[in-house]
Amino acid sequence: MNLTITGLQRRLITLVAVVLLMATAPFVQAGDADAGKQKAYTCLGCHGVLHYVNTYPTYHVPKLGGQHKEYLIAALKAYRSKTRAHGTMQANADLLTDEDIEDIAEYFASQGDK
Amino acid sequence: MTMPKMTKVALFAVSILVSGIAFAGGDAEAGKAASATCAACHGADGNSTIPTNPKLAGQYESYLLQALKAYKSGERQNAIMSGFASALTEQQMADLAAYFSSQESTLQTVLER
Repeated sequence: MNLTITGLQRRLITLVAVVLLMATAPFVQAGDADAGKQKAYTCLGCHGVLHYVNTYPTYHVPKLGGQHKEYLIAALKAYRSKTRAHGTMQANADLLTDEDIEDIAEYFASQGDK
Repeated sequence: MTMPKMTKVALFAVSILVSGIAFAGGDAEAGKAASATCAACHGADGNSTIPTNPKLAGQYESYLLQALKAYKSGERQNAIMSGFASALTEQQMADLAAYFSSQESTLQTVLER
């Protein structure tokens, strides 16, 4: 049996891989609100308390329910990459994968006051 | 200390207190007038329809003020927001925060259940 891969076979393998990636990408990116609810447990320690206040400087921790998912994703990724300042948020975001971030964002976005 | 001098000191202290209170408030009407620039991206009443731009309507006033201050100082980086915020005075920022926080909104605190 010839185990070497010909140029045509290599192209076929690449094509299959690309198609598979394209097919699964929408599911990965969609974000799962149910999974997000579990993963958001830590967030609610501050964001789940009415009028909860950040200290030094003092201001209210923002409401997240009903906020745009895309914005929430961008915010969490900015904290994770340390381009947005906030010690606690950076430390929490540091633990999150892209999938975690998508799920958490999906969850909060789905919790608006409609 | 003579009485007039004590009176002056008292007046000075009172004026500082009063200006502090006035500043802390923010004037929603003045904020509305200044909000035209924000409307293009965040919606006229702060209910942004552009997914990458956060909804501001009904958000906590103190958080909105903190965000504007952070954009102005450069602590929070965003090319567009830094440009706008750098042109604002502290009073204008307080007014804008008062305006957007007072608008009807779909934002809410997700409570632990």
